[in-house]
Amino acid sequence: MSETLLAFKAGRAFRRPGTNFIDPRPEKGAITLTNGEDGLLHFTWKDRTSGNVEEDLILFPSDASFVKVSEATGGRVYVLKFSSSDQRHFFWMQDASSARDDEFVDNVNGLLDDPEYTLQWGTTSTQPQASTSAQASSSAPPAFQATPEQLAQLEALLQSAGGQTQASPPDILTPTNLTPLFASHPELIPTLFPHLPPDLPVPPSTEVLGQIINSPQFRSALASFDQALRTGLLGGLVRGLGLPEEAGTGIGPFLNAIQEQAERGGDSMETD
Amino acid sequence: MSAEDDSSGWQLTESDPGVFSELLKTLGVPMIVDDLYSLDPDTLASLQPLHALIFLFKWIPSSADSSTSTGQYDPDFPGFFAHQVVNNACATLAVLNALGNISSLQTGPQLAELNSFTTGMDPQTRGMVITSADWLREAHNALSPPNAVSLDGLGLPRKSEDAYHFVVYLPIMGAVYELDGLKQYPVRHGPYEDHGEGWLKTAREVIENRIATYPVGALEFSLLALRDDPLPSLLTRLQEVQASGNSAATAEILSQISNEKSKQQRWAFENSLRKHNHVGLIHALLIALAKGGKLSSAQEQAKTIMRARVEKKASGEDMDED
Repeated sequence: MSETLLAFKAGRAFRRPGTNFIDPRPEKGAITLTNGEDGLLHFTWKDRTSGNVEEDLILFPSDASFVKVSEATGGRVYVLKFSSSDQRHFFWMQDASSARDDEFVDNVNGLLDDPEYTLQWGTTSTQPQASTSAQASSSAPPAFQATPEQLAQLEALLQSAGGQTQASPPDILTPTNLTPLFASHPELIPTLFPHLPPDLPVPPSTEVLGQIINSPQFRSALASFDQALRTGLLGGLVRGLGLPEEAGTGIGPFLNAIQEQAERGGDSMETD
Repeated sequence: MSAEDDSSGWQLTESDPGVFSELLKTLGVPMIVDDLYSLDPDTLASLQPLHALIFLFKWIPSSADSSTSTGQYDPDFPGFFAHQVVNNACATLAVLNALGNISSLQTGPQLAELNSFTTGMDPQTRGMVITSADWLREAHNALSPPNAVSLDGLGLPRKSEDAYHFVVYLPIMGAVYELDGLKQYPVRHGPYEDHGEGWLKTAREVIENRIATYPVGALEFSLLALRDDPLPSLLTRLQEVQASGNSAATAEILSQISNEKSKQQRWAFENSLRKHNHVGLIHALLIALAKGGKLSSAQEQAKTIMRARVEKKASGEDMDED
Protein backbone atom coordinates (compact mmCIF):
# COMPACT_ATOMS: atom_id res chain seq x y z
CA MET A 1 0.00 0.00 0.00
CA SER A 2 1.32 3.40 -0.80
CA GLU A 3 1.55 5.81 2.08
CA THR A 4 1.53 9.61 1.83
CA LEU A 5 4.29 11.03 3.98
CA LEU A 6 3.70 14.70 3.44
CA ALA A 7 2.04 17.14 1.07
CA PHE A 8 1.94 20.88 0.59
CA LYS A 9 0.65 23.39 -1.93
CA ALA A 10 3.09 24.26 -4.68
CA GLY A 11 3.10 25.36 -8.29
CA ARG A 12 5.63 24.50 -10.97
CA ALA A 13 8.08 26.72 -12.78
CA PHE A 14 10.05 26.08 -15.96
CA ARG A 15 13.20 27.42 -17.54
CA ARG A 16 12.51 29.64 -20.52
CA PRO A 17 14.38 27.90 -23.35
CA GLY A 18 17.62 29.54 -24.29
CA THR A 19 17.68 31.68 -21.17
CA ASN A 20 18.23 31.41 -17.47
CA PHE A 21 14.80 32.79 -16.66
CA ILE A 22 12.42 30.65 -14.69
CA ASP A 23 8.76 31.23 -15.49
CA PRO A 24 6.22 30.10 -12.93
CA ARG A 25 3.04 28.49 -14.16
CA PRO A 26 -0.20 29.56 -12.50
CA GLU A 27 -1.81 26.14 -12.01
CA LYS A 28 -2.66 25.34 -8.42
CA GLY A 29 -0.87 22.19 -7.44
CA ALA A 30 0.60 20.15 -4.64
CA ILE A 31 3.85 18.34 -3.97
CA THR A 32 3.43 15.00 -2.30
CA LEU A 33 6.01 12.58 -0.97
CA THR A 34 4.81 9.01 -0.89
CA ASN A 35 6.18 5.61 0.00
CA GLY A 36 5.02 3.80 -3.09
CA GLU A 37 3.76 0.27 -3.44
CA ASP A 38 7.07 -0.43 -5.14
CA GLY A 39 8.82 0.35 -1.87
CA LEU A 40 10.40 3.48 -3.32
CA LEU A 41 10.03 7.14 -2.43
CA HIS A 42 7.87 9.06 -4.92
CA PHE A 43 7.99 12.84 -5.31
CA THR A 44 4.84 13.81 -7.19
CA TRP A 45 3.27 17.01 -8.38
CA LYS A 46 -0.44 17.02 -8.99
CA ASP A 47 -2.75 19.63 -10.38
CA ARG A 48 -5.22 20.46 -7.61
CA THR A 49 -7.84 21.59 -10.09
CA SER A 50 -7.90 18.51 -12.30
CA GLY A 51 -6.65 16.11 -9.67
CA ASN A 52 -4.18 14.64 -12.14
CA VAL A 53 -0.70 13.64 -11.15
CA GLU A 54 1.45 15.38 -13.75
CA GLU A 55 4.87 14.44 -12.42
CA ASP A 56 5.95 11.30 -10.59
CA LEU A 57 9.62 11.11 -9.74
CA ILE A 58 11.21 8.13 -8.05
CA LEU A 59 13.95 9.19 -5.68
CA PHE A 60 16.79 7.16 -4.28
CA PRO A 61 18.21 8.03 -0.87
CA SER A 62 20.68 10.94 -0.93
CA ASP A 63 20.20 11.41 -4.64
CA ALA A 64 18.12 14.57 -4.52
CA SER A 65 17.78 17.74 -2.52
CA PHE A 66 15.15 20.46 -2.37
CA VAL A 67 16.82 23.81 -2.16
CA LYS A 68 15.61 27.40 -2.05
CA VAL A 69 16.54 29.45 -5.10
CA SER A 70 17.91 32.45 -3.28
CA GLU A 71 18.19 34.49 -6.46
CA ALA A 72 14.41 34.53 -6.72
CA THR A 73 13.84 37.50 -4.50
CA GLY A 74 10.22 38.06 -3.52
CA GLY A 75 9.22 34.56 -4.52
CA ARG A 76 9.30 31.35 -2.58
CA VAL A 77 10.93 29.30 -5.28
CA TYR A 78 12.63 25.96 -4.75
CA VAL A 79 14.49 23.57 -6.99
CA LEU A 80 14.60 19.80 -6.78
CA LYS A 81 18.04 18.80 -7.96
CA PHE A 82 19.83 15.49 -8.34
CA SER A 83 23.33 14.24 -7.81
CA SER A 84 22.82 11.54 -10.40
CA SER A 85 21.65 13.72 -13.27
CA ASP A 86 21.29 17.33 -14.35
CA GLN A 87 17.53 17.30 -13.99
CA ARG A 88 16.13 20.41 -12.36
CA HIS A 89 12.52 20.79 -11.27
CA PHE A 90 11.42 24.21 -10.07
CA PHE A 91 8.48 24.85 -7.76
CA TRP A 92 6.98 27.79 -5.95
CA MET A 93 5.11 27.71 -2.63
CA GLN A 94 1.41 28.36 -2.98
CA ASP A 95 0.23 28.44 0.56
CA ALA A 96 -0.78 32.00 1.41
CA SER A 97 1.38 31.96 4.50
CA SER A 98 5.09 31.29 4.29
CA ALA A 99 5.25 30.44 7.97
CA ARG A 100 5.56 26.73 7.35
CA ASP A 101 7.82 26.81 4.29
CA ASP A 102 10.93 25.91 6.24
CA GLU A 103 9.15 23.15 8.09
CA PHE A 104 7.96 21.49 4.89
CA VAL A 105 11.31 21.91 3.18
CA ASP A 106 13.23 20.50 6.13
CA ASN A 107 11.01 17.46 6.17
CA VAL A 108 11.26 17.03 2.41
CA ASN A 109 15.03 17.02 2.59
CA GLY A 110 14.92 14.63 5.49
CA LEU A 111 12.91 12.16 3.44
CA LEU A 112 15.01 12.69 0.33
CA ASP A 113 18.01 11.66 2.27
CA ASP A 114 16.41 8.79 4.12
CA PRO A 115 12.91 7.56 3.38
CA GLU A 116 12.71 6.30 6.96
CA TYR A 117 13.26 9.83 8.26
CA THR A 118 11.06 10.75 11.21
CA LEU A 119 9.13 13.84 10.24
CA GLN A 120 9.40 16.81 12.55
CA TRP A 121 6.42 19.08 12.83
CA GLY A 122 5.83 22.04 15.01
CA THR A 123 9.52 22.77 15.44
CA THR A 124 10.62 26.31 16.05
CA SER A 125 12.31 26.74 12.73
CA THR A 126 10.01 29.52 11.62
CA GLN A 127 11.81 32.76 11.13
CA PRO A 128 10.15 36.09 10.47
CA GLN A 129 9.70 36.33 6.74
CA ALA A 130 11.40 39.41 5.45
CA SER A 131 9.22 40.01 2.47
CA THR A 132 5.65 40.91 3.35
CA SER A 133 4.51 41.57 -0.18
CA ALA A 134 4.98 37.91 -0.98
CA GLN A 135 2.23 36.98 1.45
CA ALA A 136 -0.36 39.19 -0.19
CA SER A 137 0.30 38.12 -3.72
CA SER A 138 1.35 34.54 -3.28
CA SER A 139 -1.72 33.06 -4.86
CA ALA A 140 -0.70 34.68 -8.10
CA PRO A 141 2.42 33.27 -9.68
CA PRO A 142 5.42 35.41 -8.82
CA ALA A 143 7.22 36.85 -11.81
CA PHE A 144 10.84 37.57 -11.26
CA GLN A 145 13.85 38.49 -13.23
CA ALA A 146 17.36 38.18 -11.98
CA THR A 147 20.03 40.86 -11.99
CA PRO A 148 23.20 40.01 -13.93
CA GLU A 149 24.96 38.87 -10.77
CA GLN A 150 22.01 36.78 -9.71
CA LEU A 151 21.84 35.30 -13.19
CA ALA A 152 25.43 34.21 -12.90
CA GLN A 153 24.72 32.60 -9.56
CA LEU A 154 21.61 30.95 -10.88
CA GLU A 155 23.54 29.62 -13.83
CA ALA A 156 26.14 28.20 -11.47
CA LEU A 157 23.36 26.62 -9.49
CA LEU A 158 21.79 25.14 -12.58
CA GLN A 159 25.03 23.77 -13.84
CA SER A 160 26.52 22.71 -10.57
CA ALA A 161 26.08 19.07 -11.47
CA GLY A 162 27.45 19.74 -14.92
CA GLY A 163 25.22 16.98 -16.24
CA GLN A 164 27.35 14.46 -14.36
CA THR A 165 27.18 12.80 -11.02
CA GLN A 166 28.66 14.54 -8.02
CA ALA A 167 32.08 13.89 -6.59
CA SER A 168 31.46 13.65 -2.89
CA PRO A 169 34.16 14.41 -0.30
CA PRO A 170 33.97 10.96 1.33
CA ASP A 171 34.85 9.42 -2.04
CA ILE A 172 37.64 11.94 -2.58
CA LEU A 173 39.34 11.70 0.80
CA THR A 174 40.16 8.02 0.61
CA PRO A 175 43.45 6.26 1.35
CA THR A 176 43.63 5.43 -2.36
CA ASN A 177 43.88 9.12 -3.13
CA LEU A 178 45.69 10.37 -0.07
CA THR A 179 48.48 7.81 0.38
CA PRO A 180 50.06 8.58 -3.00
CA LEU A 181 49.71 12.29 -2.24
CA PHE A 182 51.63 11.94 1.01
CA ALA A 183 54.31 9.99 -0.82
CA SER A 184 54.72 12.40 -3.70
CA HIS A 185 54.32 15.62 -1.73
CA PRO A 186 55.73 15.02 1.75
CA GLU A 187 56.09 18.77 2.24
CA LEU A 188 52.30 19.00 2.44
CA ILE A 189 52.06 16.67 5.42
CA PRO A 190 53.08 19.19 8.11
CA THR A 191 50.36 21.54 6.82
CA LEU A 192 47.86 19.00 8.10
CA PHE A 193 49.24 18.65 11.61
CA PRO A 194 47.73 21.86 13.00
CA HIS A 195 44.28 20.43 12.17
CA LEU A 196 44.69 17.26 14.20
CA PRO A 197 43.16 17.04 17.68
CA PRO A 198 45.26 19.10 20.08
CA ASP A 199 45.01 16.43 22.78
CA LEU A 200 46.11 13.52 20.62
CA PRO A 201 48.10 11.22 22.93
CA VAL A 202 50.72 10.51 20.30
CA PRO A 203 52.85 12.91 18.26
CA PRO A 204 51.56 13.68 14.77
CA SER A 205 53.04 11.64 11.95
CA THR A 206 52.11 10.36 8.52
CA GLU A 207 51.11 7.05 10.06
CA VAL A 208 48.88 8.71 12.64
CA LEU A 209 47.36 10.81 9.88
CA GLY A 210 46.47 7.61 8.04
CA GLN A 211 44.90 6.11 11.17
CA ILE A 212 42.81 9.22 11.69
CA ILE A 213 41.62 9.34 8.09
CA ASN A 214 40.49 5.73 8.39
CA SER A 215 38.94 6.12 11.84
CA PRO A 216 35.18 5.72 12.28
CA GLN A 217 35.08 9.15 13.95
CA PHE A 218 36.63 10.92 10.95
CA ARG A 219 34.59 8.99 8.38
CA SER A 220 31.44 9.84 10.29
CA ALA A 221 32.35 13.54 10.46
CA LEU A 222 33.09 13.43 6.73
CA ALA A 223 29.71 11.89 5.98
CA SER A 224 27.95 14.55 8.06
CA PHE A 225 29.87 17.28 6.29
CA ASP A 226 28.99 15.83 2.89
CA GLN A 227 25.35 15.64 3.84
CA ALA A 228 25.32 19.22 5.12
CA LEU A 229 27.12 20.50 2.03
CA ARG A 230 24.48 18.99 -0.22
CA THR A 231 21.80 21.11 1.42
CA GLY A 232 23.54 24.10 -0.09
CA LEU A 233 23.23 25.97 3.18
CA LEU A 234 26.81 26.08 4.41
CA GLY A 235 27.60 29.63 3.27
CA GLY A 236 28.30 30.77 6.81
CA LEU A 237 30.49 27.83 7.71
CA VAL A 238 32.68 27.96 4.62
CA ARG A 239 33.39 31.65 5.20
CA GLY A 240 35.10 30.54 8.37
CA LEU A 241 37.42 28.50 6.16
CA GLY A 242 38.36 31.58 4.14
CA LEU A 243 36.10 30.59 1.26
CA PRO A 244 33.44 32.74 -0.42
CA GLU A 245 29.86 32.21 0.73
CA GLU A 246 28.98 30.74 -2.64
CA ALA A 247 31.23 27.81 -1.84
CA GLY A 248 28.63 26.66 0.67
CA THR A 249 25.89 26.20 -1.89
CA GLY A 250 26.88 22.72 -2.98
CA ILE A 251 29.60 20.18 -3.57
CA GLY A 252 30.57 21.50 -7.00
CA PRO A 253 30.96 25.14 -5.90
CA PHE A 254 32.78 24.00 -2.77
CA LEU A 255 35.36 21.95 -4.65
CA ASN A 256 35.84 24.70 -7.23
CA ALA A 257 36.45 27.20 -4.47
CA ILE A 258 38.97 24.83 -2.89
CA GLN A 259 40.85 24.60 -6.16
CA GLU A 260 40.99 28.38 -6.42
CA GLN A 261 42.02 28.81 -2.81
CA ALA A 262 44.86 26.32 -3.29
CA GLU A 263 46.04 28.12 -6.39
CA ARG A 264 46.06 31.40 -4.51
CA GLY A 265 48.42 29.64 -2.10
CA GLY A 266 45.78 30.05 0.55
CA ASP A 267 46.18 28.26 3.80
CA SER A 268 43.20 29.84 5.42
CA MET A 269 43.05 31.10 8.94
CA GLU A 270 40.44 28.81 10.34
CA THR A 271 38.03 30.24 12.84
CA ASP A 272 36.66 27.90 15.42
CA MET B 1 11.43 3.60 24.94
CA SER B 2 9.64 6.90 24.76
CA ALA B 3 9.14 8.24 21.29
CA GLU B 4 9.42 11.86 22.27
CA ASP B 5 12.77 13.48 21.90
CA ASP B 6 13.17 15.34 25.16
CA SER B 7 16.89 15.11 25.48
CA SER B 8 17.16 18.09 27.83
CA GLY B 9 20.56 18.86 26.40
CA TRP B 10 21.95 15.34 26.92
CA GLN B 11 23.54 14.00 23.77
CA LEU B 12 23.63 10.37 22.84
CA THR B 13 27.05 8.84 23.42
CA GLU B 14 28.68 5.66 22.24
CA SER B 15 28.64 2.69 24.59
CA ASP B 16 32.35 2.16 24.30
CA PRO B 17 34.60 1.17 27.23
CA GLY B 18 36.88 4.08 26.34
CA VAL B 19 33.97 6.50 26.65
CA PHE B 20 32.91 5.08 30.02
CA SER B 21 36.47 5.06 31.34
CA GLU B 22 36.94 8.68 30.36
CA LEU B 23 33.73 9.57 32.21
CA LEU B 24 35.06 7.80 35.30
CA LYS B 25 38.25 9.82 35.06
CA THR B 26 36.23 13.01 34.91
CA LEU B 27 34.28 11.88 37.97
CA GLY B 28 37.57 11.38 39.79
CA VAL B 29 37.00 7.65 40.21
CA PRO B 30 40.09 5.42 39.78
CA MET B 31 38.20 2.73 37.91
CA ILE B 32 37.83 1.67 34.31
CA VAL B 33 35.23 -0.13 32.27
CA ASP B 34 36.26 -3.07 30.10
CA ASP B 35 34.47 -5.12 27.51
CA LEU B 36 33.53 -8.55 28.80
CA TYR B 37 33.55 -11.28 26.23
CA SER B 38 32.77 -14.11 28.58
CA LEU B 39 31.26 -14.69 31.99
CA ASP B 40 33.40 -17.70 32.80
CA PRO B 41 35.05 -17.75 36.22
CA ASP B 42 38.63 -17.39 34.98
CA THR B 43 37.86 -14.32 32.88
CA LEU B 44 36.03 -12.67 35.73
CA ALA B 45 38.76 -13.57 38.21
CA SER B 46 41.37 -11.91 36.03
CA LEU B 47 39.46 -8.65 36.24
CA GLN B 48 39.38 -8.42 40.02
CA PRO B 49 38.82 -6.15 41.90
CA LEU B 50 35.55 -6.17 39.95
CA HIS B 51 32.76 -3.99 41.29
CA ALA B 52 29.79 -4.29 38.94
CA LEU B 53 28.62 -5.86 35.72
CA ILE B 54 26.83 -3.70 33.20
CA PHE B 55 24.52 -5.46 30.79
CA LEU B 56 23.57 -3.36 27.79
CA PHE B 57 21.18 -4.46 25.15
CA LYS B 58 19.16 -3.36 22.20
CA TRP B 59 15.93 -5.18 22.24
CA ILE B 60 14.42 -5.81 18.83
CA PRO B 61 10.69 -5.65 19.45
CA SER B 62 8.24 -8.13 17.96
CA SER B 63 10.06 -10.87 19.77
CA ALA B 64 8.85 -12.40 22.98
CA ASP B 65 8.43 -10.21 25.99
CA SER B 66 11.62 -9.44 27.82
CA SER B 67 13.04 -9.75 31.28
CA THR B 68 10.93 -12.03 33.33
CA SER B 69 12.89 -11.11 36.34
CA THR B 70 13.66 -13.93 38.69
CA GLY B 71 14.29 -11.61 41.55
CA GLN B 72 12.03 -9.50 43.70
CA TYR B 73 11.42 -5.83 43.80
CA ASP B 74 12.85 -4.19 46.89
CA PRO B 75 10.80 -1.08 47.64
CA ASP B 76 12.73 -0.52 50.87
CA PHE B 77 16.12 -0.49 49.20
CA PRO B 78 18.25 1.89 51.28
CA GLY B 79 21.06 2.28 48.79
CA PHE B 80 21.51 4.54 45.78
CA PHE B 81 18.97 4.13 43.00
CA ALA B 82 17.91 6.73 40.44
CA HIS B 83 15.33 6.52 37.69
CA GLN B 84 16.25 7.23 34.11
CA VAL B 85 14.34 10.40 33.29
CA VAL B 86 16.22 11.38 30.14
CA ASN B 87 16.84 8.58 27.66
CA ASN B 88 20.11 9.94 26.31
CA ALA B 89 21.57 9.99 29.80
CA CYS B 90 21.12 6.23 30.20
CA ALA B 91 24.80 5.30 30.11
CA THR B 92 25.86 7.87 32.68
CA LEU B 93 22.90 7.04 34.88
CA ALA B 94 23.89 3.37 34.91
CA VAL B 95 27.41 4.29 35.97
CA LEU B 96 26.10 6.50 38.76
CA ASN B 97 23.75 3.80 40.00
CA ALA B 98 26.73 1.46 40.22
CA LEU B 99 29.11 3.95 41.83
CA GLY B 100 26.52 5.10 44.34
CA ASN B 101 26.48 1.67 45.93
CA ILE B 102 30.20 0.98 46.16
CA SER B 103 31.36 1.48 49.69
CA SER B 104 34.44 3.57 50.39
CA LEU B 105 34.37 4.84 46.83
CA GLN B 106 37.10 7.27 45.97
CA THR B 107 35.57 10.06 43.93
CA GLY B 108 36.01 13.69 42.98
CA PRO B 109 34.24 16.40 44.99
CA GLN B 110 31.36 17.00 42.58
CA LEU B 111 30.19 13.39 42.56
CA ALA B 112 30.60 13.13 46.32
CA GLU B 113 28.44 16.19 46.72
CA LEU B 114 25.82 14.91 44.31
CA ASN B 115 25.61 11.61 46.17
CA SER B 116 25.25 13.20 49.57
CA PHE B 117 22.80 15.84 48.32
CA THR B 118 20.49 13.16 46.96
CA THR B 119 20.59 10.95 50.05
CA GLY B 120 17.12 9.87 51.08
CA MET B 121 15.46 11.11 47.89
CA ASP B 122 13.04 8.82 46.05
CA PRO B 123 14.36 7.35 42.78
CA GLN B 124 12.38 9.68 40.54
CA THR B 125 13.56 12.84 42.28
CA ARG B 126 17.07 11.50 42.43
CA GLY B 127 16.99 10.87 38.69
CA MET B 128 15.77 14.41 38.05
CA VAL B 129 18.41 15.97 40.25
CA ILE B 130 21.15 13.98 38.57
CA THR B 131 19.92 14.91 35.11
CA SER B 132 19.87 18.59 35.96
CA ALA B 133 23.44 18.66 37.17
CA ASP B 134 25.10 20.86 34.55
CA TRP B 135 28.62 19.68 35.31
CA LEU B 136 27.56 16.06 34.86
CA ARG B 137 25.76 16.73 31.61
CA GLU B 138 28.82 18.53 30.28
CA ALA B 139 31.07 15.66 31.30
CA HIS B 140 28.69 13.26 29.57
CA ASN B 141 28.39 15.37 26.40
CA ALA B 142 32.14 15.92 26.18
CA LEU B 143 32.51 12.62 24.39
CA SER B 144 29.95 12.95 21.66
CA PRO B 145 30.98 14.65 18.44
CA PRO B 146 30.74 18.43 18.53
CA ASN B 147 28.14 19.92 16.25
CA ALA B 148 30.94 20.71 13.86
CA VAL B 149 28.70 21.66 11.04
CA SER B 150 25.94 23.28 13.10
CA LEU B 151 23.48 20.81 11.76
CA ASP B 152 20.55 22.36 13.59
CA GLY B 153 18.15 24.14 11.34
CA LEU B 154 19.55 22.57 8.19
CA GLY B 155 16.72 20.10 8.12
CA LEU B 156 19.00 17.10 8.02
CA PRO B 157 17.59 13.84 9.20
CA ARG B 158 19.03 12.75 12.51
CA LYS B 159 20.62 9.38 12.04
CA SER B 160 18.50 6.99 14.00
CA GLU B 161 20.93 6.31 16.80
CA ASP B 162 21.03 2.90 18.33
CA ALA B 163 19.50 3.29 21.73
CA TYR B 164 20.83 0.76 24.19
CA HIS B 165 19.32 0.00 27.54
CA PHE B 166 21.62 -0.44 30.52
CA VAL B 167 21.17 -2.64 33.56
CA VAL B 168 23.67 -2.84 36.40
CA TYR B 169 24.32 -5.91 38.56
CA LEU B 170 26.34 -5.58 41.74
CA PRO B 171 26.56 -6.83 45.32
CA ILE B 172 24.93 -4.67 47.96
CA MET B 173 24.54 -5.67 51.60
CA GLY B 174 25.02 -9.34 50.96
CA ALA B 175 22.71 -9.72 47.96
CA VAL B 176 23.06 -9.35 44.22
CA TYR B 177 20.96 -6.42 43.05
CA GLU B 178 19.80 -5.48 39.60
CA LEU B 179 19.55 -1.70 39.09
CA ASP B 180 17.46 -0.77 36.07
CA GLY B 181 16.64 2.92 35.73
CA LEU B 182 13.43 2.12 33.88
CA LYS B 183 12.09 -0.17 36.61
CA GLN B 184 10.33 1.23 39.60
CA TYR B 185 12.56 -0.38 42.22
CA PRO B 186 15.84 -2.25 42.40
CA VAL B 187 15.49 -6.01 41.99
CA ARG B 188 17.01 -8.25 44.63
CA HIS B 189 18.35 -11.52 43.27
CA GLY B 190 19.03 -13.19 46.54
CA PRO B 191 22.07 -13.67 48.73
CA TYR B 192 25.35 -15.04 47.49
CA GLU B 193 27.97 -17.29 48.97
CA ASP B 194 30.93 -15.48 50.36
CA HIS B 195 33.55 -17.95 49.26
CA GLY B 196 34.85 -18.85 45.82
CA GLU B 197 33.43 -16.63 43.16
CA GLY B 198 31.13 -14.87 45.55
CA TRP B 199 28.54 -12.60 44.03
CA LEU B 200 29.75 -13.16 40.49
CA LYS B 201 28.38 -16.68 40.46
CA THR B 202 24.87 -15.46 41.23
CA ALA B 203 25.19 -12.54 38.83
CA ARG B 204 26.32 -14.84 36.05
CA GLU B 205 23.34 -17.13 36.53
CA VAL B 206 20.89 -14.26 36.54
CA ILE B 207 22.34 -12.72 33.40
CA GLU B 208 22.58 -16.01 31.51
CA ASN B 209 18.98 -16.82 32.40
CA ARG B 210 17.93 -13.43 31.18
CA ILE B 211 19.71 -13.84 27.85
CA ALA B 212 18.09 -17.23 27.41
CA THR B 213 14.59 -15.79 27.64
CA TYR B 214 15.01 -13.99 24.32
CA PRO B 215 14.60 -15.82 21.00
CA VAL B 216 17.92 -16.50 19.36
CA GLY B 217 19.05 -13.47 17.40
CA ALA B 218 16.44 -11.14 18.85
CA LEU B 219 18.80 -9.53 21.30
CA GLU B 220 21.90 -7.49 20.61
CA PHE B 221 23.82 -7.15 23.81
CA SER B 222 27.16 -6.41 25.38
CA LEU B 223 28.61 -6.89 28.80
CA LEU B 224 30.89 -4.48 30.54
CA ALA B 225 32.87 -4.79 33.73
CA LEU B 226 33.36 -1.89 36.15
CA ARG B 227 36.65 -2.54 37.86
CA ASP B 228 39.61 -0.90 39.54
CA ASP B 229 42.09 0.60 37.13
CA PRO B 230 44.73 -2.14 37.12
CA LEU B 231 47.70 0.05 36.28
CA PRO B 232 48.54 1.41 39.74
CA SER B 233 48.62 -2.04 41.35
CA LEU B 234 50.49 -3.52 38.39
CA LEU B 235 53.16 -0.88 38.79
CA THR B 236 53.42 -1.60 42.50
CA ARG B 237 53.76 -5.32 41.84
CA LEU B 238 56.40 -4.60 39.23
CA GLN B 239 58.57 -2.91 41.80
CA GLU B 240 58.11 -5.86 44.14
CA VAL B 241 59.07 -8.55 41.64
CA GLN B 242 61.93 -6.49 40.30
CA ALA B 243 63.25 -6.17 43.84
CA SER B 244 62.88 -9.90 44.34
CA GLY B 245 64.94 -10.53 41.20
CA ASN B 246 62.38 -12.91 39.67
CA SER B 247 62.93 -12.27 35.99
CA ALA B 248 60.09 -14.49 34.75
CA ALA B 249 57.56 -12.77 36.95
CA THR B 250 59.04 -9.40 35.97
CA ALA B 251 58.62 -10.16 32.30
CA GLU B 252 55.06 -11.30 32.90
CA ILE B 253 54.11 -8.14 34.76
CA LEU B 254 55.84 -5.96 32.18
CA SER B 255 53.81 -7.63 29.47
CA GLN B 256 50.56 -7.03 31.34
CA ILE B 257 51.48 -3.40 31.92
CA SER B 258 52.31 -2.96 28.27
CA ASN B 259 48.97 -4.44 27.17
CA GLU B 260 47.03 -2.32 29.62
CA LYS B 261 48.84 0.86 28.62
CA SER B 262 48.35 0.36 24.92
CA LYS B 263 44.66 -0.36 25.46
CA GLN B 264 44.24 2.85 27.48
CA GLN B 265 46.22 4.81 24.94
CA ARG B 266 43.98 3.52 22.19
CA TRP B 267 41.02 4.78 24.25
CA ALA B 268 42.65 8.19 24.63
CA PHE B 269 43.32 8.31 20.88
CA GLU B 270 39.71 7.45 20.01
CA ASN B 271 38.33 9.88 22.59
CA SER B 272 40.40 12.74 21.21
CA LEU B 273 38.97 11.98 17.77
CA ARG B 274 35.45 11.88 19.21
CA LYS B 275 35.78 15.31 20.73
CA HIS B 276 37.44 16.92 17.74
CA ASN B 277 35.84 19.15 15.14
CA HIS B 278 37.14 17.61 11.92
CA VAL B 279 35.99 20.28 9.49
CA GLY B 280 39.39 21.99 9.54
CA LEU B 281 41.13 18.72 8.68
CA ILE B 282 38.65 17.96 5.91
CA HIS B 283 39.32 21.37 4.43
CA ALA B 284 43.10 21.07 4.80
CA LEU B 285 43.14 17.63 3.16
CA LEU B 286 41.22 18.90 0.15
CA ILE B 287 43.55 21.89 -0.14
CA ALA B 288 46.52 19.54 0.02
CA LEU B 289 45.07 17.43 -2.78
CA ALA B 290 44.56 20.58 -4.84
CA LYS B 291 48.07 21.84 -4.17
CA GLY B 292 49.44 18.46 -5.15
CA GLY B 293 47.57 18.77 -8.42
CA LYS B 294 45.48 15.72 -7.60
CA LEU B 295 42.08 17.17 -6.76
CA SER B 296 40.70 17.06 -10.29
CA SER B 297 41.58 13.45 -10.87
CA ALA B 298 40.26 12.51 -7.44
CA GLN B 299 37.02 14.31 -8.32
CA GLU B 300 36.71 12.40 -11.58
CA GLN B 301 37.31 9.08 -9.86
CA ALA B 302 34.78 9.98 -7.19
CA LYS B 303 32.18 10.79 -9.82
CA THR B 304 32.72 7.38 -11.39
CA ILE B 305 32.31 5.74 -8.01
CA MET B 306 29.12 7.69 -7.38
CA ARG B 307 27.75 6.89 -10.82
CA ALA B 308 28.37 3.19 -10.28
CA ARG B 309 26.74 3.38 -6.88
CA VAL B 310 23.64 5.09 -8.26
CA GLU B 311 23.39 2.64 -11.13
CA LYS B 312 23.61 -0.25 -8.71
CA LYS B 313 20.81 1.21 -6.65
CA ALA B 314 18.72 1.82 -9.71
CA SER B 315 19.13 -1.75 -10.80
CA GLY B 316 18.02 -2.85 -7.37
CA GLU B 317 21.14 -4.74 -6.37
CA ASP B 318 21.91 -5.12 -2.72
CA MET B 319 24.39 -2.49 -1.63
CA ASP B 320 26.77 -2.66 1.24
CA GLU B 321 26.57 0.43 3.39
CA ASP B 322 29.93 2.14 3.18
